[in-house]
Amino acid sequence: MTFDPGVALTRRQLFGSSATGLGIVALSDLLAEDLRPAPANTGLDGVPHFAPRAKRVIYLFQSGGPSQMDLFDAKPGLRELQGSELPDSVRGGQRLTGMTAAQSSFPVAPSKFEFARAGESGQEFGELIPHIASISDKIAVIRSMTTEQINHDPAITYLQTGHQLAGRPSLGSWLSYGLGSESSSLPSYVVMVSLGSTGQPLYSRLWGSGFLPTRYQAVKFRAGREPVLYLNDPDGFSRTDRRTYLDGLAALNRAHLEEFGDPEIENRIAQYEMAFRMQASVPELTDLSSEPDSVFEMYGEDARKPGTYASNCLLARRLVERGVRCVQLFHRGWDHHNNLPSNLAQRCAETDRASAALVKDLERRGLLEETLVVWGGEFGRTVYCQGELTRQNYGRDHHPRCFSIWLAGGGIRGGTTHGATDDFSYNVAADPVSVPDLHATILHLMGVDHKRLTFKYQGRHFRLTDVHGALVRPILA
Amino acid sequence: MRRLLTRAALAVGLCAALSPDCLAVDFRSEVRPILSDRCYTCHGPDSGTRMSPLRLDTREGVFAEASNGRPVIVPGQPDSSELILRVAADDPARRMPPGAFGHAPLSQAEIETLRAWVREGAQWARHWAFEPIKRPAASSAPAGEWGRNPIDGFVLARMRAAGLEPSPMAERSKLLRRATLDLTGLPPTAAEVRSFLADPSPKAYEAAVDRLLASARFGERMAFRWLEAARYADTNGYQNDRERDMWRWRDWVIDAFNANMPFDRFTVEQLAGDLLPDPSLEDLIATGFNRNHRGNAENGTDPDEYQVEYAVDRLETTATVWLGLTVGCARCHDHKYDPISQREFYQFYAYFNNVSDRGRYYKYGNTPPIVRAPTPTQRESLRAMDGAIADLERRVGGHAEALRSGIRAADLAGADDWAFAEGLAVRRSFDAAGSEPAGVRGRAARLDGRRHFDLGNLADYDFYDPFTISAWVRADNQTGGIASRYLPKGPKGFGLFLVGGKVQLRVDTASISDRQRVESRNPLPIGRWVHVAGVYDGSRNTGGMRLYFDGRRVPTETLIDESLNSTKANAPLRIGHGPGPDDRFQGVLDDVRVYSRALAPDEIAVVAVRETPAEIAAMRRADRSAPQRDKLRRAYLELAAPESARSDWRRLRAALLEREAFLAELPTVMVMDERENPRPTHVLFRGSFDAPRERVEPGLFSALPSLPAGAPNNRMGLARWLTSDSHPLTARVTVNRFWQMLFGQGIVSTVEDFGSQGAAPTHPRLLDWLAAEFIEGGWDVKALMRLIATSATYRQSSAVTPELLERDPQNLLLARAPRLRLPAEAIRDQALAIAGLLSEGLGGPSVKPYQPGGLWKELSNWGAYKHDSGDRLYRRSLYTFWKRTLGPPAMLAFDAAPRETCVVREDRTNTPIQALNLMNDPTYNEAARLYAERMLREGGADDARRLAYGFLLATARGPAGREASILRESLSRYRDRFLTAPADADRVLSAGEAPRDPGLDTPELAAYATVASMLLNLDETITRE
Repeated sequence: MTFDPGVALTRRQLFGSSATGLGIVALSDLLAEDLRPAPANTGLDGVPHFAPRAKRVIYLFQSGGPSQMDLFDAKPGLRELQGSELPDSVRGGQRLTGMTAAQSSFPVAPSKFEFARAGESGQEFGELIPHIASISDKIAVIRSMTTEQINHDPAITYLQTGHQLAGRPSLGSWLSYGLGSESSSLPSYVVMVSLGSTGQPLYSRLWGSGFLPTRYQAVKFRAGREPVLYLNDPDGFSRTDRRTYLDGLAALNRAHLEEFGDPEIENRIAQYEMAFRMQASVPELTDLSSEPDSVFEMYGEDARKPGTYASNCLLARRLVERGVRCVQLFHRGWDHHNNLPSNLAQRCAETDRASAALVKDLERRGLLEETLVVWGGEFGRTVYCQGELTRQNYGRDHHPRCFSIWLAGGGIRGGTTHGATDDFSYNVAADPVSVPDLHATILHLMGVDHKRLTFKYQGRHFRLTDVHGALVRPILA
Repeated sequence: MRRLLTRAALAVGLCAALSPDCLAVDFRSEVRPILSDRCYTCHGPDSGTRMSPLRLDTREGVFAEASNGRPVIVPGQPDSSELILRVAADDPARRMPPGAFGHAPLSQAEIETLRAWVREGAQWARHWAFEPIKRPAASSAPAGEWGRNPIDGFVLARMRAAGLEPSPMAERSKLLRRATLDLTGLPPTAAEVRSFLADPSPKAYEAAVDRLLASARFGERMAFRWLEAARYADTNGYQNDRERDMWRWRDWVIDAFNANMPFDRFTVEQLAGDLLPDPSLEDLIATGFNRNHRGNAENGTDPDEYQVEYAVDRLETTATVWLGLTVGCARCHDHKYDPISQREFYQFYAYFNNVSDRGRYYKYGNTPPIVRAPTPTQRESLRAMDGAIADLERRVGGHAEALRSGIRAADLAGADDWAFAEGLAVRRSFDAAGSEPAGVRGRAARLDGRRHFDLGNLADYDFYDPFTISAWVRADNQTGGIASRYLPKGPKGFGLFLVGGKVQLRVDTASISDRQRVESRNPLPIGRWVHVAGVYDGSRNTGGMRLYFDGRRVPTETLIDESLNSTKANAPLRIGHGPGPDDRFQGVLDDVRVYSRALAPDEIAVVAVRETPAEIAAMRRADRSAPQRDKLRRAYLELAAPESARSDWRRLRAALLEREAFLAELPTVMVMDERENPRPTHVLFRGSFDAPRERVEPGLFSALPSLPAGAPNNRMGLARWLTSDSHPLTARVTVNRFWQMLFGQGIVSTVEDFGSQGAAPTHPRLLDWLAAEFIEGGWDVKALMRLIATSATYRQSSAVTPELLERDPQNLLLARAPRLRLPAEAIRDQALAIAGLLSEGLGGPSVKPYQPGGLWKELSNWGAYKHDSGDRLYRRSLYTFWKRTLGPPAMLAFDAAPRETCVVREDRTNTPIQALNLMNDPTYNEAARLYAERMLREGGADDARRLAYGFLLATARGPAGREASILRESLSRYRDRFLTAPADADRVLSAGEAPRDPGLDTPELAAYATVASMLLNLDETITRE
């Protein structure tokens, strides 16, 4: 969260101003005139390093590991191999999770879903995601993502922070730190988690600021009465009450400032004003009643229910409209060790329409050009079956060696399929993309050279991509 | 950046304290940082990435020839020195560092510093922090108000050299509030303020500091930061992040600070208390320090991988806390900046790699090695119980002796079925069924693989309930169920089964792999009667599962140990039902029992005795086995002995059961131990657990002193080494951290990094003097805190003048006291104290104060956060339950460390989230209400007095005229507001569970509560100035 008030006080303002007589000045008016920050935190000097392709990013995180070969990575040839043993040469002695390492056989489970080509680009999509297929020409699919981590916690931590163990800043925190905020009434980094989704847990470190100052961490928006923790005034306490309260408080703080001269007091006054503005801007933001019915037709009726993925997608659009730098959605429940077909269908029903609607909606409003949208999970799933295998039902274990994600919007060449996997969607066959490569590319699109966005901590110049990261140029427009 | 006092700093005359000659560039504080930061990546300690033979981290390297044959440095001649020529080159192809690799060129100021250094003779020195601590002569400071102790001499000399003068002393009330908050984390009470202001003694302040240091609150305050350094938390930190119990360690820390345990002993006990001769329970609890790291229980993790992570975490935490070194860099390659090779990293790691813990931690509770750690009160109770039990045992023994010859078979004739009654939930012996085969006694149940017995809704246990299942078994087949409450499709429930010839005890959940199972290592004999028992103690891990054949414990293998969710199964208790849908028991079963207790080994042995008490009584005494004798004795004492003996026996049994229940509730704590067969340590290629290279033995860093004479080469030796008087780092790093606690920033601002990339000390001689004083004074923490808190430096006013703001915005020279926002814990504790709500008990299990609903549920599969009630809502914040992956939001908002890894650096941000928190968190609104009640009840007869009293509670001073009028105006505004809308007044007062004083008028209280909230939100209130 970036809320540097950016209140540039002159020395005269700090020390020379006379007392404001008795007490209660309407500080908001004062701020409106000469102290209110235009955009708040302006980020680091010299960042962006070059002209950005996107000013904002929306990352739709599908937590649990969506199955690439049931959605994006068509392998029709596997149908004939149904139930046959995965050749050792393919598996190549790879590390397995403790859940299937003891399994005596590794039978091939082809996808039960049909794939079809879509758009002029002719990219292939599984039948569960027809809406994403409908934006085929706007999105670049990377089929050759790979990660080093095979279990949820380290894998999702790696994708979010560039390191599998706790302690590093998240992608959104790096962006806040480097690029600053464009809004004076909203945080620069917002996270939303689909309400009621279950599955693998999430952790606040995934959007935390690690060793960066805590103001760069995300503010988590929540469905319901209080979208931001402690946003609402107590029952019975009106906006006018809060206004006079803040004026009184500021008058007291200002009286002390005159005596003590610590600029941090001025900063405190500004932060309370920012809080007051958020108390207005956040409810306005999360109130969807002004959205026309046509919007709900796009995103689906679910978008009327606060906390759903669809509703969060719509909020994501409203957030970037208002200048929020980084928005991240988390949808849990993609961890399909068993009963994959029915569970996957369920997750797709919850997310497919709204994910595509978001891209279309941004485009319609002319925002897509400067907004990067990313869709993906923390790893893929195995071609071999976990548990009982039938034509209609199967499960898949975690698979770090390859998985699929897609990107759209600012700087992305739509309709591109990048990379390829082998016949079993088991190993990357061409153009592997590592997690640092993805991070480097996202930063690049935001105008940031991933090698030059650093923070010195414990004597080291840390960066999101550590010592790795190469741009995925073929997907760039 | 406050890191460097460079040429720019010289311009304002800051160099005096750093260097004896103000004109000279100081190599250690000015030159090495440039070389380190800009050159060492390729020309430093890391042999793996050294781009040429050139090294700039050693004297030999710097004074050697460059690869082109020219000297790197010619002292006195910068223009003949290759180093200068290359960094200053215009040609980008020649310029260092090379732009082609993305490195930015040196700034003009950096080049000038290097040039000046060479011109002045290129003096070389080892990195300052590795040099021995030499006690500098204390500078003299003018006596009187300034110059209270030697600290002031060092500080004054330094600021005078920069042309600054100290600030006046702080007002007495401010000083008292400052010291009270700094040393106890709580504000002074109104009475403390008044009595301090009224104390005419010239030593009144010193007396107040002594009082604060003696307060039990001091240990709690000192623990704030130590818990963060030790990454202490109440959960495991991965995935669903379930609870563990380390609070006994936390309380050890508080007690140690309160008892003023010398810091060297504090160190030895925490790092190696288990290796002390004959360690006490406290010594063992202390070692929890290095078990506070996160523990992974995720299904499918590779235990070997996390074993490495735990040892690395212990190493990194220990190195950060005691050495102030970022050793972690050397895990994958030689350290880039400091003289630590990768090999040395693994030598050091070896000290922490010999704990008997496993790579996969339990999802719940404490993972061995653990100790049962009763509190002193509990130990007292236990001693009392043990005394009573011993007494009863003597009495019972007396009866047995007297009645030794009196046991006759006839007396026990009716006791054929005698069994332990305590906790017996179910027993079936099948004797009534006429057509059944002969059993161990009477009839038995023959099961043919098709039928089973359905006993209905009995023994409805969940995974935290202990139980015992026992039966006589004569199996005909390798697989089948003995007794269970179990849904094989799922699977879910618990039971004792025969699977592939071996006996399995299961407590399963219907999920991927959430289950606990142990299996006998050896098969159960087929075709003959065997007594089989499975015991589960409700600990939710397989460490609490045991199997017995014929009354003797048998070795088991853990098949899976992943307990997460409730195991309650919607199934009846069944006998003979299978572990799978078709695997029903084939063979004969007799005397099947289920106990809702975990039977002790001697009890199982008795249950497994086939003979009846009467039969045993009829045997020759010499022929009776120990279990048979025991069974006879128990049956006799229970059934046939004279009433006085039976009565004593009943009391003894009751006392034993009570003790069993008491023991089950005692806290445990995870501790360190040493494996008997040391785990070999290898250098790990790129730090990866599955790429071991050469084997190494425990060892230290060659750049630092070696082990003290006679110290063993293990963790104990390591602890002795750290605390030896000649260690250059421990004392410096430690006093610097305590200094940070009182001044907001360290003398070395990078409190976590004293290495070559760390900040230079702002007052190097003061740092060394304090370190020497600390060591020579016996590592006396309270004495150190007293020394600092009674210095004139500490007692200055924290007012910021325009001149000071311009000359020294970061207050590096301490010409004023710092103004610091309070730590997260103190902000909440202070509000509770002002409100009169604070519950002041010391230590105990962690508590759950208010937290917004749904936070836990949104992110994980662990149920909802349910806040406590009563006193437990108002405990000090360091007792708040800390879930690592989702810490208490109000603590995190005020920069508390997340506790996932070691953090020693204090951080203070200023955000709108903090404002929202203080204005709207029910914690603060409840506190405001109670605070308002105090103003009304205790403040005096009129508004002016009441408001002044309220102001005093928050700030330890009275309001100035303008402040008083702002408060009065606000009060009257809200009084009018709530008088016209009493319903709103009622709602505004509704936060929190503490009862409202019914004697107070609602609109009046609401108006005061609103002003109270303003006072709790005042910048001055949440700041120690």
